[in-house]
Amino acid sequence: MFFPHRFFPDRFFPHCSIVPPYLLRRLAAQDELSGAAEAARNALLHVPAFHAARAELSLLAPPGVRGATPAPPERTIYDARSLEKLPGSPVRKEGKPPTGDPATDEAYDGLGHTHRLYADAFGRDSIDGRGLPLEASVHYSKRYDNAFWDGRQMVFGDGDGEVFGRFTKSLSVIGHELAHGVTQYSGGLNYRNQAGALNESLSDVFGALVEQYAKQQSTAEASWLIGEGLFTDQVQGTALRSMKAPGTAYDDDVLGKDPQPDSMDSYVRTSADNGGVHINSGIPNRAFCLVATALGGNAWEAPAQIWYQTLTGGTLSPNTTFGAFARATAASAKELFGAGSAAHDAVRSAWETVKVKV
Amino acid sequence: MKITVQRSGGVAGMQRTWTVRPEPPEDTDRWQPLIEACPWDSVPGAGGSPGQPDRFMYSIRADQRRAVLPERDLTGPWRDLVECARAAAEQAAAQDPD
Repeated sequence: MFFPHRFFPDRFFPHCSIVPPYLLRRLAAQDELSGAAEAARNALLHVPAFHAARAELSLLAPPGVRGATPAPPERTIYDARSLEKLPGSPVRKEGKPPTGDPATDEAYDGLGHTHRLYADAFGRDSIDGRGLPLEASVHYSKRYDNAFWDGRQMVFGDGDGEVFGRFTKSLSVIGHELAHGVTQYSGGLNYRNQAGALNESLSDVFGALVEQYAKQQSTAEASWLIGEGLFTDQVQGTALRSMKAPGTAYDDDVLGKDPQPDSMDSYVRTSADNGGVHINSGIPNRAFCLVATALGGNAWEAPAQIWYQTLTGGTLSPNTTFGAFARATAASAKELFGAGSAAHDAVRSAWETVKVKV
Repeated sequence: MKITVQRSGGVAGMQRTWTVRPEPPEDTDRWQPLIEACPWDSVPGAGGSPGQPDRFMYSIRADQRRAVLPERDLTGPWRDLVECARAAAEQAAAQDPD
Protein backbone atom coordinates (compact mmCIF):
# COMPACT_ATOMS: atom_id res chain seq x y z
CA MET A 1 0.00 0.00 0.00
CA PHE A 2 1.27 3.46 -0.85
CA PHE A 3 1.25 6.22 1.75
CA PRO A 4 2.39 9.52 0.28
CA HIS A 5 3.65 10.92 3.59
CA ARG A 6 6.29 8.18 3.65
CA PHE A 7 7.58 9.24 0.29
CA PHE A 8 7.39 12.97 0.47
CA PRO A 9 8.51 15.50 3.02
CA ASP A 10 5.87 17.07 5.21
CA ARG A 11 5.81 20.25 3.23
CA PHE A 12 3.91 18.49 0.50
CA PHE A 13 1.26 17.14 2.84
CA PRO A 14 1.37 19.76 5.56
CA HIS A 15 -1.48 18.66 7.78
CA CYS A 16 -4.44 17.37 5.91
CA SER A 17 -4.82 16.23 2.38
CA ILE A 18 -8.24 17.61 1.50
CA VAL A 19 -6.75 20.67 -0.17
CA PRO A 20 -3.89 20.49 -2.67
CA PRO A 21 -0.74 21.24 -0.70
CA TYR A 22 0.49 23.58 -3.39
CA LEU A 23 -2.62 25.71 -2.95
CA LEU A 24 -2.38 25.62 0.82
CA ARG A 25 1.20 26.83 0.68
CA ARG A 26 0.27 29.72 -1.52
CA LEU A 27 -2.68 30.60 0.64
CA ALA A 28 -0.65 30.34 3.81
CA ALA A 29 1.94 32.72 2.41
CA GLN A 30 -0.66 35.44 2.23
CA ASP A 31 -2.00 36.91 5.49
CA GLU A 32 -5.10 38.19 3.85
CA LEU A 33 -6.12 37.75 0.26
CA SER A 34 -6.70 40.97 -1.56
CA GLY A 35 -10.05 41.36 -3.29
CA ALA A 36 -8.43 40.96 -6.70
CA ALA A 37 -6.50 37.85 -5.72
CA GLU A 38 -9.61 36.38 -4.24
CA ALA A 39 -11.61 37.07 -7.39
CA ALA A 40 -8.89 35.54 -9.53
CA ARG A 41 -8.78 32.47 -7.36
CA ASN A 42 -12.53 32.12 -7.38
CA ALA A 43 -12.40 32.18 -11.14
CA LEU A 44 -9.65 29.57 -11.22
CA LEU A 45 -10.93 27.14 -8.68
CA HIS A 46 -14.13 25.45 -7.88
CA VAL A 47 -15.68 27.62 -5.21
CA PRO A 48 -16.27 24.88 -2.60
CA ALA A 49 -12.62 23.84 -2.89
CA PHE A 50 -11.64 27.43 -2.21
CA HIS A 51 -13.83 27.64 0.85
CA ALA A 52 -12.46 24.30 2.00
CA ALA A 53 -8.96 25.73 1.70
CA ARG A 54 -9.87 28.73 3.82
CA ALA A 55 -11.60 26.52 6.35
CA GLU A 56 -8.53 24.28 6.52
CA LEU A 57 -6.30 27.25 7.24
CA SER A 58 -8.44 28.21 10.18
CA LEU A 59 -8.22 24.66 11.48
CA LEU A 60 -4.46 24.40 11.60
CA ALA A 61 -4.38 24.34 15.38
CA PRO A 62 -6.60 21.47 16.57
CA PRO A 63 -4.41 18.37 16.65
CA GLY A 64 -7.40 16.15 15.92
CA VAL A 65 -7.71 17.66 12.48
CA ARG A 66 -4.06 17.41 11.60
CA GLY A 67 -3.17 14.29 9.71
CA ALA A 68 -6.84 13.48 9.30
CA THR A 69 -7.31 10.52 6.96
CA PRO A 70 -10.03 10.33 4.33
CA ALA A 71 -13.28 8.84 5.59
CA PRO A 72 -14.45 5.43 4.30
CA PRO A 73 -16.60 5.51 1.16
CA GLU A 74 -20.32 6.02 1.34
CA ARG A 75 -21.72 4.14 -1.66
CA THR A 76 -25.23 3.66 -2.98
CA ILE A 77 -26.02 1.66 -6.10
CA TYR A 78 -29.35 2.24 -7.82
CA ASP A 79 -31.17 0.16 -10.41
CA ALA A 80 -32.59 2.30 -13.24
CA ARG A 81 -34.62 -0.73 -14.41
CA SER A 82 -33.98 -0.05 -18.11
CA LEU A 83 -35.48 3.44 -17.85
CA GLU A 84 -33.72 6.78 -18.34
CA LYS A 85 -34.91 8.28 -15.08
CA LEU A 86 -32.08 8.79 -12.58
CA PRO A 87 -31.15 7.56 -10.11
CA GLY A 88 -33.74 4.72 -9.93
CA SER A 89 -34.30 2.53 -6.87
CA PRO A 90 -31.54 1.88 -4.32
CA VAL A 91 -30.42 -1.75 -4.44
CA ARG A 92 -27.17 -1.79 -2.45
CA LYS A 93 -26.05 0.63 0.24
CA GLU A 94 -22.71 0.96 2.00
CA GLY A 95 -21.72 -2.08 4.02
CA LYS A 96 -24.48 -4.31 2.65
CA PRO A 97 -23.66 -7.76 1.22
CA PRO A 98 -23.50 -8.53 -2.51
CA THR A 99 -26.86 -8.66 -4.25
CA GLY A 100 -25.97 -11.32 -6.82
CA ASP A 101 -26.60 -8.90 -9.70
CA PRO A 102 -23.18 -8.57 -11.43
CA ALA A 103 -23.71 -4.96 -12.56
CA THR A 104 -24.72 -3.83 -9.07
CA ASP A 105 -21.87 -5.63 -7.34
CA GLU A 106 -19.23 -4.61 -9.90
CA ALA A 107 -20.31 -0.96 -9.59
CA TYR A 108 -20.18 -1.18 -5.78
CA ASP A 109 -16.71 -2.74 -5.80
CA GLY A 110 -15.45 -0.39 -8.51
CA LEU A 111 -16.51 2.70 -6.56
CA GLY A 112 -14.68 1.25 -3.55
CA HIS A 113 -11.47 0.65 -5.52
CA THR A 114 -11.65 4.18 -6.95
CA HIS A 115 -12.20 5.74 -3.52
CA ARG A 116 -9.25 3.72 -2.18
CA LEU A 117 -6.80 4.90 -4.84
CA TYR A 118 -7.58 8.57 -4.13
CA ALA A 119 -7.39 8.03 -0.37
CA ASP A 120 -4.18 5.96 -0.32
CA ALA A 121 -2.16 7.56 -3.12
CA PHE A 122 -3.25 11.18 -2.78
CA GLY A 123 -4.88 11.47 0.65
CA ARG A 124 -8.01 12.70 -1.13
CA ASP A 125 -11.37 12.19 0.55
CA SER A 126 -13.63 11.02 -2.28
CA ILE A 127 -14.28 12.72 -5.61
CA ASP A 128 -14.71 16.24 -4.30
CA GLY A 129 -12.02 15.91 -1.61
CA ARG A 130 -14.73 16.42 0.99
CA GLY A 131 -16.22 12.97 1.37
CA LEU A 132 -18.82 13.14 -1.38
CA PRO A 133 -21.13 10.09 -1.17
CA LEU A 134 -20.62 7.95 -4.28
CA GLU A 135 -23.71 7.08 -6.25
CA ALA A 136 -24.11 4.95 -9.35
CA SER A 137 -27.06 3.75 -11.39
CA VAL A 138 -26.87 0.47 -13.29
CA HIS A 139 -29.17 -0.98 -15.98
CA TYR A 140 -29.68 2.50 -17.48
CA SER A 141 -31.90 2.59 -20.58
CA LYS A 142 -32.16 -0.33 -23.01
CA ARG A 143 -29.22 -1.80 -24.94
CA TYR A 144 -27.29 1.30 -23.89
CA ASP A 145 -23.69 1.26 -25.15
CA ASN A 146 -22.22 3.72 -22.70
CA ALA A 147 -21.27 4.81 -19.20
CA PHE A 148 -21.01 8.42 -18.02
CA TRP A 149 -20.68 10.82 -15.09
CA ASP A 150 -23.61 13.25 -15.17
CA GLY A 151 -22.00 15.83 -12.89
CA ARG A 152 -23.39 14.19 -9.75
CA GLN A 153 -23.35 10.43 -10.19
CA MET A 154 -22.19 7.55 -12.37
CA VAL A 155 -24.44 5.88 -14.92
CA PHE A 156 -23.87 2.47 -16.55
CA GLY A 157 -25.56 0.85 -19.52
CA ASP A 158 -25.86 -2.89 -20.09
CA GLY A 159 -24.55 -2.70 -23.67
CA ASP A 160 -26.36 -3.95 -26.75
CA GLY A 161 -25.05 -7.50 -26.39
CA GLU A 162 -23.63 -7.37 -29.92
CA VAL A 163 -20.73 -4.93 -29.66
CA PHE A 164 -20.69 -4.27 -25.93
CA GLY A 165 -21.55 -6.14 -22.79
CA ARG A 166 -22.28 -4.35 -19.50
CA PHE A 167 -20.03 -1.35 -18.79
CA THR A 168 -19.40 -2.19 -15.12
CA LYS A 169 -17.16 -5.05 -16.26
CA SER A 170 -14.16 -2.77 -16.65
CA LEU A 171 -12.62 -1.21 -13.54
CA SER A 172 -10.64 1.27 -15.66
CA VAL A 173 -13.95 2.55 -17.10
CA ILE A 174 -15.43 3.00 -13.60
CA GLY A 175 -12.28 4.88 -12.59
CA HIS A 176 -12.46 6.89 -15.84
CA GLU A 177 -15.99 8.11 -15.10
CA LEU A 178 -15.28 9.12 -11.51
CA ALA A 179 -12.15 10.96 -12.65
CA HIS A 180 -14.44 13.24 -14.68
CA GLY A 181 -15.87 14.18 -11.29
CA VAL A 182 -12.40 14.86 -9.87
CA THR A 183 -11.57 17.07 -12.87
CA GLN A 184 -14.88 18.88 -12.43
CA TYR A 185 -14.15 19.58 -8.75
CA SER A 186 -10.58 20.64 -9.58
CA GLY A 187 -11.76 23.57 -11.67
CA GLY A 188 -12.71 21.75 -14.85
CA LEU A 189 -11.41 21.55 -18.39
CA ASN A 190 -13.73 22.54 -21.20
CA TYR A 191 -14.99 19.46 -22.98
CA ARG A 192 -13.84 20.44 -26.45
CA ASN A 193 -10.68 20.26 -28.58
CA GLN A 194 -7.35 20.00 -26.72
CA ALA A 195 -8.75 20.88 -23.28
CA GLY A 196 -11.43 18.24 -23.83
CA ALA A 197 -8.84 15.68 -24.92
CA LEU A 198 -6.88 16.46 -21.73
CA ASN A 199 -10.08 16.02 -19.72
CA GLU A 200 -10.48 12.61 -21.40
CA SER A 201 -6.82 11.70 -20.94
CA LEU A 202 -6.89 12.52 -17.22
CA SER A 203 -9.87 10.17 -16.91
CA ASP A 204 -7.95 7.43 -18.71
CA VAL A 205 -4.85 8.02 -16.58
CA PHE A 206 -6.70 7.85 -13.26
CA GLY A 207 -8.93 5.04 -14.54
CA ALA A 208 -5.84 2.98 -15.38
CA LEU A 209 -4.33 3.84 -12.00
CA VAL A 210 -7.45 2.62 -10.18
CA GLU A 211 -7.16 -0.71 -11.96
CA GLN A 212 -3.39 -1.03 -11.49
CA TYR A 213 -3.62 -0.17 -7.79
CA ALA A 214 -6.46 -2.63 -7.20
CA LYS A 215 -4.52 -5.40 -8.95
CA GLN A 216 -1.21 -4.23 -7.44
CA GLN A 217 0.34 -4.24 -10.91
CA SER A 218 3.59 -2.43 -11.59
CA THR A 219 4.00 -0.32 -14.72
CA ALA A 220 5.74 -3.24 -16.41
CA GLU A 221 2.96 -5.70 -15.49
CA ALA A 222 0.01 -3.45 -16.38
CA SER A 223 -1.89 -3.74 -19.68
CA TRP A 224 -2.35 0.04 -20.02
CA LEU A 225 -5.67 -0.75 -21.71
CA ILE A 226 -8.86 1.19 -21.04
CA GLY A 227 -12.06 -0.84 -21.08
CA GLU A 228 -10.55 -4.29 -21.45
CA GLY A 229 -13.26 -6.95 -21.54
CA LEU A 230 -16.13 -4.68 -22.59
CA PHE A 231 -16.38 -6.01 -26.14
CA THR A 232 -18.36 -9.14 -26.89
CA ASP A 233 -16.41 -11.94 -28.55
CA GLN A 234 -17.91 -10.88 -31.90
CA VAL A 235 -15.60 -7.84 -31.97
CA GLN A 236 -12.01 -7.91 -33.20
CA GLY A 237 -10.37 -5.96 -30.41
CA THR A 238 -9.12 -6.09 -26.84
CA ALA A 239 -10.20 -2.74 -25.39
CA LEU A 240 -11.45 0.78 -26.12
CA ARG A 241 -8.01 2.37 -26.01
CA SER A 242 -4.37 1.54 -25.43
CA MET A 243 -2.36 4.12 -23.50
CA LYS A 244 0.88 2.38 -24.33
CA ALA A 245 0.23 2.04 -28.07
CA PRO A 246 -2.61 4.38 -29.06
CA GLY A 247 -4.37 3.25 -32.24
CA THR A 248 -3.96 -0.50 -31.62
CA ALA A 249 -6.87 -1.36 -29.29
CA TYR A 250 -9.22 -2.68 -31.98
CA ASP A 251 -9.50 -3.26 -35.71
CA ASP A 252 -12.92 -4.56 -36.62
CA ASP A 253 -14.93 -5.01 -39.83
CA VAL A 254 -17.94 -3.13 -38.48
CA LEU A 255 -16.36 -0.72 -35.99
CA GLY A 256 -13.31 0.15 -38.04
CA LYS A 257 -9.85 0.71 -36.61
CA ASP A 258 -8.93 2.43 -33.35
CA PRO A 259 -8.44 6.05 -34.56
CA GLN A 260 -6.15 7.31 -31.78
CA PRO A 261 -2.93 9.10 -32.80
CA ASP A 262 0.25 8.42 -30.81
CA SER A 263 1.90 11.80 -31.41
CA MET A 264 1.15 15.32 -32.62
CA ASP A 265 2.28 14.24 -36.11
CA SER A 266 -1.05 12.46 -36.53
CA TYR A 267 -3.28 14.79 -34.45
CA VAL A 268 -6.86 14.49 -35.72
CA ARG A 269 -8.89 17.59 -36.58
CA THR A 270 -12.60 16.80 -36.54
CA SER A 271 -15.87 18.39 -35.50
CA ALA A 272 -17.25 15.06 -34.26
CA ASP A 273 -16.91 14.00 -30.62
CA ASN A 274 -16.57 17.63 -29.44
CA GLY A 275 -13.44 18.03 -31.53
CA GLY A 276 -12.09 14.50 -31.16
CA VAL A 277 -11.76 14.45 -27.38
CA HIS A 278 -11.70 10.61 -27.26
CA ILE A 279 -9.31 10.48 -30.22
CA ASN A 280 -6.52 12.95 -29.47
CA SER A 281 -6.45 11.90 -25.80
CA GLY A 282 -4.12 9.15 -27.07
CA ILE A 283 -1.28 11.70 -27.22
CA PRO A 284 -1.25 12.76 -23.53
CA ASN A 285 -2.16 9.18 -22.54
CA ARG A 286 1.02 7.91 -24.15
CA ALA A 287 3.02 10.69 -22.50
CA PHE A 288 1.89 9.50 -19.06
CA CYS A 289 2.67 5.88 -19.91
CA LEU A 290 6.15 6.91 -21.13
CA VAL A 291 6.84 8.74 -17.85
CA ALA A 292 5.75 5.67 -15.87
CA THR A 293 7.85 3.38 -18.05
CA ALA A 294 10.94 5.58 -17.70
CA LEU A 295 10.62 5.69 -13.92
CA GLY A 296 9.67 2.03 -13.44
CA GLY A 297 8.00 0.73 -10.30
CA ASN A 298 4.35 1.57 -9.66
CA ALA A 299 2.59 4.23 -11.69
CA TRP A 300 0.49 5.34 -8.70
CA GLU A 301 3.68 6.60 -7.03
CA ALA A 302 5.83 9.34 -8.64
CA PRO A 303 4.11 9.49 -12.09
CA ALA A 304 0.64 9.75 -10.54
CA GLN A 305 1.80 12.34 -8.00
CA ILE A 306 3.03 14.57 -10.84
CA TRP A 307 -0.22 14.29 -12.81
CA TYR A 308 -2.38 14.69 -9.70
CA GLN A 309 -0.45 17.80 -8.62
CA THR A 310 -0.94 19.20 -12.14
CA LEU A 311 -4.68 18.50 -12.11
CA THR A 312 -5.34 19.84 -8.61
CA GLY A 313 -2.69 22.56 -8.36
CA GLY A 314 -4.96 25.32 -9.62
CA THR A 315 -2.78 26.31 -12.58
CA LEU A 316 -4.81 24.77 -15.42
CA SER A 317 -7.13 27.14 -17.26
CA PRO A 318 -10.41 25.75 -18.66
CA ASN A 319 -8.97 25.94 -22.19
CA THR A 320 -5.58 24.41 -21.43
CA THR A 321 -3.71 23.24 -24.53
CA PHE A 322 -1.46 20.17 -24.74
CA GLY A 323 1.59 22.46 -24.63
CA ALA A 324 0.42 24.29 -21.50
CA PHE A 325 -0.44 20.99 -19.85
CA ALA A 326 2.98 19.56 -20.73
CA ARG A 327 4.67 22.59 -19.18
CA ALA A 328 2.48 22.26 -16.08
CA THR A 329 3.49 18.60 -15.62
CA ALA A 330 7.17 19.56 -15.98
CA ALA A 331 6.67 22.29 -13.37
CA SER A 332 4.97 19.78 -11.03
CA ALA A 333 7.79 17.27 -11.48
CA LYS A 334 10.34 19.98 -10.75
CA GLU A 335 8.45 21.12 -7.68
CA LEU A 336 7.96 17.62 -6.28
CA PHE A 337 11.29 16.03 -7.19
CA GLY A 338 13.65 18.86 -8.12
CA ALA A 339 15.05 20.30 -11.34
CA GLY A 340 17.02 17.75 -13.32
CA SER A 341 15.65 14.85 -11.24
CA ALA A 342 14.87 11.57 -13.00
CA ALA A 343 11.16 12.43 -12.79
CA HIS A 344 11.66 15.90 -14.27
CA ASP A 345 13.75 14.47 -17.10
CA ALA A 346 11.25 11.67 -17.74
CA VAL A 347 8.38 14.16 -18.09
CA ARG A 348 10.24 16.39 -20.54
CA SER A 349 11.42 13.42 -22.57
CA ALA A 350 7.92 11.88 -22.73
CA TRP A 351 6.38 15.03 -24.19
CA GLU A 352 9.24 15.29 -26.67
CA THR A 353 8.51 11.72 -27.84
CA VAL A 354 4.84 12.55 -28.54
CA LYS A 355 5.94 15.80 -30.24
CA VAL A 356 4.39 18.22 -27.76
CA LYS A 357 6.65 21.18 -27.11
CA VAL A 358 7.29 21.73 -23.39
CA MET B 1 -33.78 11.47 -50.22
CA LYS B 2 -30.93 10.67 -47.86
CA ILE B 3 -30.91 10.62 -44.06
CA THR B 4 -27.66 10.21 -42.17
CA VAL B 5 -27.18 9.91 -38.42
CA GLN B 6 -23.63 10.09 -37.13
CA ARG B 7 -23.15 9.27 -33.45
CA SER B 8 -19.79 10.17 -31.91
CA GLY B 9 -18.40 10.23 -28.38
CA GLY B 10 -19.50 8.01 -25.55
CA VAL B 11 -16.82 6.61 -23.26
CA ALA B 12 -15.80 4.33 -26.13
CA GLY B 13 -15.34 7.27 -28.51
CA MET B 14 -16.44 5.11 -31.43
CA GLN B 15 -18.13 6.80 -34.34
CA ARG B 16 -21.18 5.02 -35.76
CA THR B 17 -22.99 6.17 -38.89
CA TRP B 18 -26.42 5.04 -40.03
CA THR B 19 -27.65 6.02 -43.51
CA VAL B 20 -31.07 5.53 -45.08
CA ARG B 21 -31.99 6.24 -48.71
CA PRO B 22 -35.77 6.06 -48.92
CA GLU B 23 -37.12 5.40 -52.41
CA PRO B 24 -39.79 7.76 -53.72
CA PRO B 25 -42.67 7.95 -53.55
CA GLU B 26 -43.89 5.45 -50.91
CA ASP B 27 -40.82 5.50 -48.65
CA THR B 28 -40.25 9.24 -48.85
CA ASP B 29 -43.88 9.84 -47.94
CA ARG B 30 -43.31 7.77 -44.84
CA TRP B 31 -40.10 9.61 -43.80
CA GLN B 32 -41.21 13.16 -44.65
CA PRO B 33 -43.44 13.64 -41.56
CA LEU B 34 -40.66 12.33 -39.26
CA ILE B 35 -38.25 14.88 -40.75
CA GLU B 36 -40.76 17.74 -40.76
CA ALA B 37 -41.60 17.14 -37.09
CA CYS B 38 -38.05 18.13 -36.03
CA PRO B 39 -37.36 21.79 -35.15
CA TRP B 40 -34.36 22.13 -37.52
CA ASP B 41 -34.27 25.92 -37.28
CA SER B 42 -34.09 26.10 -33.50
CA VAL B 43 -31.00 24.00 -32.79
CA PRO B 44 -27.40 25.08 -33.27
CA GLY B 45 -25.52 23.49 -36.15
CA ALA B 46 -21.96 22.24 -35.83
CA GLY B 47 -20.06 24.06 -33.09
CA GLY B 48 -22.97 24.28 -30.66
CA SER B 49 -22.51 23.88 -26.94
CA PRO B 50 -20.25 20.95 -25.98
CA GLY B 51 -21.86 17.92 -24.43
CA GLN B 52 -21.33 16.37 -21.01
CA PRO B 53 -18.29 14.12 -20.59
CA ASP B 54 -18.68 10.74 -22.28
CA ARG B 55 -22.18 11.33 -23.56
CA PHE B 56 -23.00 10.81 -27.21
CA MET B 57 -23.08 13.62 -29.77
CA TYR B 58 -25.43 13.31 -32.74
CA SER B 59 -24.99 14.90 -36.14
CA ILE B 60 -28.21 14.47 -38.12
CA ARG B 61 -28.66 15.21 -41.82
CA ALA B 62 -31.76 14.98 -43.97
CA ASP B 63 -30.89 16.12 -47.47
CA GLN B 64 -29.84 19.77 -47.05
CA ARG B 65 -30.84 20.11 -43.42
CA ARG B 66 -28.46 19.48 -40.56
CA ALA B 67 -28.52 19.55 -36.77
CA VAL B 68 -25.92 18.72 -34.11
CA LEU B 69 -27.37 17.64 -30.79
CA PRO B 70 -25.87 16.46 -27.53
CA GLU B 71 -27.46 13.26 -26.22
CA ARG B 72 -29.49 15.03 -23.53
CA ASP B 73 -31.26 17.09 -26.21
CA LEU B 74 -32.13 14.06 -28.31
CA THR B 75 -35.79 13.98 -27.29
CA GLY B 76 -39.23 13.96 -28.92
CA PRO B 77 -39.18 14.07 -32.74
CA TRP B 78 -35.35 14.03 -32.88
CA ARG B 79 -35.24 10.79 -31.00
CA ASP B 80 -37.98 9.30 -33.18
CA LEU B 81 -36.08 10.23 -36.33
CA VAL B 82 -32.75 8.89 -35.05
CA GLU B 83 -34.23 5.61 -33.81
CA CYS B 84 -36.11 5.04 -37.06
CA ALA B 85 -33.01 5.83 -39.14
CA ARG B 86 -30.84 3.51 -37.08
CA ALA B 87 -33.36 0.67 -37.22
CA ALA B 88 -33.86 1.06 -40.98
CA ALA B 89 -30.10 1.24 -41.65
CA GLU B 90 -29.41 -1.83 -39.51
CA GLN B 91 -32.23 -3.74 -41.19
CA ALA B 92 -30.85 -2.84 -44.63
CA ALA B 93 -27.35 -3.88 -43.55
CA ALA B 94 -28.66 -7.21 -42.25
CA GLN B 95 -30.36 -7.91 -45.60
CA ASP B 96 -27.33 -6.90 -47.62
CA PRO B 97 -24.14 -7.45 -45.62
CA ASP B 98 -21.99 -5.83 -48.30
